[in-house]
Formats: sequence, C-alpha cells, structure tokens
Amino acid sequence: MKKIMTLLLVLTLALGLFAGCESDKKSEGGTLNLFTWEGMFPQEVLDGFTADTGITISYNNFDYDETMLAKLQAAEGGDYDLVIADDYIIETVIDEGLAQKLDMSKLSNFKNINPIYQGQFYDPSDEYTVPYGAGIQTIVYDPSLVDIEIKGYADLMDPSLKDSVGIISNYRVINGLALKIMGESYNTEDISKIEAAGEILLDLAPNIRLIKDDNLQDDLVSGEISAAVMYTSQVTLAKLANPDLKIVYPEEGIGFGIMAGFIPSKAPNPDAAHAFLNYILQPEIAAQCFEWLGYYSTTEAADSLINDEFKEFLTLPENLNLDSEMIQLVSSDAEEAHSKVWTAFKAATGK
Amino acid sequence: MKKKKRKNRPGLSIFSILPLYLFTIVFVAFPLIYLFVLSFLTRAETWGVVNQLTLKNYLGILDPIYLNTFIESFKLAILTTGLVILVGYPYGYFMAKLNSDWRRRMMLLLMIPFWISSLMRLFGWVTMFRANGVLDKFLMMLGIIDEPLKLLYTYPAVVVGMVYALTPFMIFSVYSSAEKLDWSMVEAARDLGATRWKAFVTVTLKLTLPGLLSGVVLTFIPSMGLFYIAELLGGNKVVLVGNVIQEQLMKSHNWPFAAALSVVLMALTSFVIFLYRKITKVKDLEGLV
Repeated sequence: MKKIMTLLLVLTLALGLFAGCESDKKSEGGTLNLFTWEGMFPQEVLDGFTADTGITISYNNFDYDETMLAKLQAAEGGDYDLVIADDYIIETVIDEGLAQKLDMSKLSNFKNINPIYQGQFYDPSDEYTVPYGAGIQTIVYDPSLVDIEIKGYADLMDPSLKDSVGIISNYRVINGLALKIMGESYNTEDISKIEAAGEILLDLAPNIRLIKDDNLQDDLVSGEISAAVMYTSQVTLAKLANPDLKIVYPEEGIGFGIMAGFIPSKAPNPDAAHAFLNYILQPEIAAQCFEWLGYYSTTEAADSLINDEFKEFLTLPENLNLDSEMIQLVSSDAEEAHSKVWTAFKAATGK
Repeated sequence: MKKKKRKNRPGLSIFSILPLYLFTIVFVAFPLIYLFVLSFLTRAETWGVVNQLTLKNYLGILDPIYLNTFIESFKLAILTTGLVILVGYPYGYFMAKLNSDWRRRMMLLLMIPFWISSLMRLFGWVTMFRANGVLDKFLMMLGIIDEPLKLLYTYPAVVVGMVYALTPFMIFSVYSSAEKLDWSMVEAARDLGATRWKAFVTVTLKLTLPGLLSGVVLTFIPSMGLFYIAELLGGNKVVLVGNVIQEQLMKSHNWPFAAALSVVLMALTSFVIFLYRKITKVKDLEGLV
C-alpha cells in the first residue's frame, strides 16, 4: 500500500512538471481551445492560423452535439474558447446562458457571411454565432439507372423506382419529406399532420431499399440504389466519385441545417476565438475550408473562389426560388409521434 | 451444510470474496436498478429526464407499432434458432465422434473467425451479397443468373447473418454434451434391436438434450438483441426491439422509453431461461457457460 502511495505521489509530481513545460511553451500567442467534431478543418488552415497569429490550437473532439452540451454544462461555460456545433443545440446553449455575445469590432470579416444563413431561429439577431457550413436537403440520383426525371420528393414514389431508393436514418428529415409533400412545415407540432405524413410514407415504403446513416453514398456509387436522400457531406463524396449523378433541389421546398461557431460564456481566451473566427471568414481560407468539409459555403464572399468541380454542390444555385426551412426541435409529444410514425414506416419497408 | 464446506477452506475470507461482490454491485446490480428506475421517469422536453414517476413508458409499448417489433424479434429469433439447430447440432454431434487430433483441428477452425471482430466479419457478408459482389459474380460466371440478384438488404440476408453469428455457440454446447456421451449405450440399444434412427432419438438425442437446450438459450437470447445485423445486412428494414431501443436512446432522446423497452426485453429473456430450467430441470445455469 505504501509503495502504491509513493508511486502515485511521484507520478503526480512528474505530471506537474510536464504541465509546467507546456504552459511555458504556449505563452507567446496563447492557446485556442477549439471544441468541435473531428476533421472540421484542413490541417493547412489550422497551421496557417498558428503561423499568422502565434496562437496554438488545441483541438478537442466530440461525437454528438449532446455530448458537447453535457461537457459544456459540466464546465459551466468554461474550458473551451470556441465551439462549432449544430443549430438546434446552439439554441439550447444560448437559452442556458452558456454562450457570450460576439464582439463585432474584432470580426471585420463578419460581412462576408451569406445573409441567407443569418437571422435564423437559434440566433435571430446574429449576436452569438458565425455560421460554418450548411447542410441542404437534396435528392441525388443516377440518371443512367432512373427512367424518370426526379423533380421533387413526390417523384420518389414513382413505381419505376421500386426497391431502389436509399435514405438516411433521420426521421425528422424523412418524415419531413412527407410533410413537405403535404405542403406542411418540417416543424409542425400538430400530431394529426405528423400521422398523415406517416400515411404518405407507407406509400413510399415499397421503393425503399436501404435506410442507413453511415456511408450511404457508397451504395449509390456502387449501383445498389439508384436514388437517395442523404446528408450533404455524403452528396459531396458521391458526386466526387461519380460526377454524372444528378442533384435535385426538391420542388416541394428545401430543408436545411447550419453548423455555427460560438464562444462559451466563460471562455478562457475569447480573443483567440474571435481571431480564429475572423480568420476563417476570409474568402480564400473559407473556400479552402468548405472544399475540404464538403458542406455548403456559408461565406458568400468565398463562393466565387470555390473550385468549379465543387461549385454545383457547395454553393446554392442563383435564383433558387424555393421555400426553405430549418429543422428545429419540436415538443416532446410531436417528437414521440415522429418516432412512432418512423418505426411503422421502417417496418413497412421490410414487408 | 454449506457453512461446513466454507470452514474447510481456510483461505476464503470476507476479503477474498469482497471484490466479487463489489464488482457485481457496481457493474450489474447498480445499472439494472438505474435502468429500472429510469423506466418510470418522464422525459424532459428537450434533453434528459425529469423526476416525475409515470407508467406512460410501459403503456407506450402496448402501441401496436411497438408490440409488432417484439413479435418481429420473436419470429426472427425462432427462425434463427431453428436454422442454427439444423446446422449446429449435426456439426457438434459429428465433431464429438472424431478422433482427438481432428477434434482439436475442428475446434481451431471454429475459433479462428473469433480472432476477427464480429463487425468486420459482417462486412465480409456485405461484400459477398452486394450487387455485383462475390456471389453475383460467381453465379454469373456459372451462367446461373444474367443480372445481379438483389441479395443485400433483404430479410434472408439478415437471417444468414444471424445464423452465421450464432451457430458456433450451438456447436460448442452440443459438442460438449455429445463428447461426454457414453457411446456404449448407443451400441447397447442397437444390440437390443433398435434401428439407427430409434437409437438416436431414444438415447443420443435424449442424452445430448441439455447441450442442445443450452445452445438454444445461447442463440435465442442474443438474437433478440443483435440489432446491428439487421442494420448492416437488412438495411434497417427489419425492425427489432434492439433497433428501437438504440434509436430511442440515440436519436429520440427518450431515455425512459428505451429503458422500459429494455426492462420488458429482459423480462422476456428471463422467461426463456426460466423455461429452460423448467424443461431441463437444471437448477443452476452451469450448462450455459
């Protein structure tokens, strides 16, 4: 027992020494504690930022938005300088008082943001967040395998597509697709409308070949499925693998989601966070980021700089005149109705 | 009597069994109690739970949509178990009849796949069943089919995956009871005029029944919960209780409902074990391990 105690003591002391070294090394420009999903930035951009400003970046990952919220709550809004997460969770973060207002005097490039992605529900007056990439709900299909021209969600029910459509396992998106066919909002809390959407989905069921979240693009590229509703990053990967695929903005209207950066209320180094946000809002840097990230560019000034190869699926087409709507959290009753409708739909696809 | 036994073993003091108790309490009892309590709480509007007792979660399971997933799970579990018996019983039976060298070799062959993660092995089946995959190419080469079969993401693909994943457990338990079998009893039955079939049914089958039944339990129970096979090979179109639990937890954030589903699933599987004990009259679950 004594031995163990001694060992522990020595270890603690040794760790203390290392900790001392580290803080010395980083003192010149300070550290930016970045907290986001894995792989959100190309390494050149991170290195470039450090070279420009002398601020070292400590990159911390989370896997789900919910994990981020739990950690941020435990740290009472401290520990991290900049968090990039999904729109709906940011709404909760701001409600809980875990984010601080941005200092616009330090964000000279704030004007580069595409106004389409501003003033949204989670931050109506753009005081807290800088958008970084948007997911747009599109339909992708392989024209060599599909006999009809797909214009909207309703076309996915065409009998010629029997057993050949792949969809992501996200019921707000898929149930939402049926709500859109009905001309309803993604965010309706009217249970009877959600149930009616479920009825529409039952008509879609015979055409569904596959429901999955991970790497759905592989099945489209390999020809296992011929049309798909999937995440934006998957659309990008599919298009890069097979440029002949067609991307459709559904005529019923589009749903979208935004990822955005915010500064936690007790961030140790908010200056570094502002510097980083301003850095990635520069058109050239932003273009580099979005090409790498595979999500729609939220920095309008970068749109013209994005490589032609990517342009079709990383920037919104001009004069796109469709209804667009963000998917938001709904009441728990509506949420339960959604998950019930979804379970019934999945069971029907197996029949 | 038990007390006496304990006294005979001087090394066994409270301290040597304490870790066992602690382990059981921390990793088995505590999570179960947590799960049970959680299943009676109410979900919070967006995130987490609130301390408000309710029976709503259990009543929710009675909804035909969710009851149906239990029925589907049962159907698949029964089908899987049946097929596993068909494949595993003869395998274990004949393996026990081999000489000891070959037994060891067969055992090794059975063990080798376990060196690879079960998830990786499932991806092997995906490669096999995929459109223009190994199986399609093979059949086309033989001229049996002209265009790719749509094998992946179908119910039979799920069944194959389940049978593949669970057959070894049946083989091991049939083998271990067939190995102990006294073959002279079978010979005696034959000498006394029983046909091969009759000798098998009245002697061999009867004596290997405990192995067979523990194989059934080992197959049936996991097949209720192997949600990732339905996901990978079935394209999520076969909805099992395991899939619903996973989705309620990860996507709907309805932890109490997920907990209630788990409690009911555990109750059902405990019932299967209870039946096993009733039928085999085995008092402990030794045969299972």
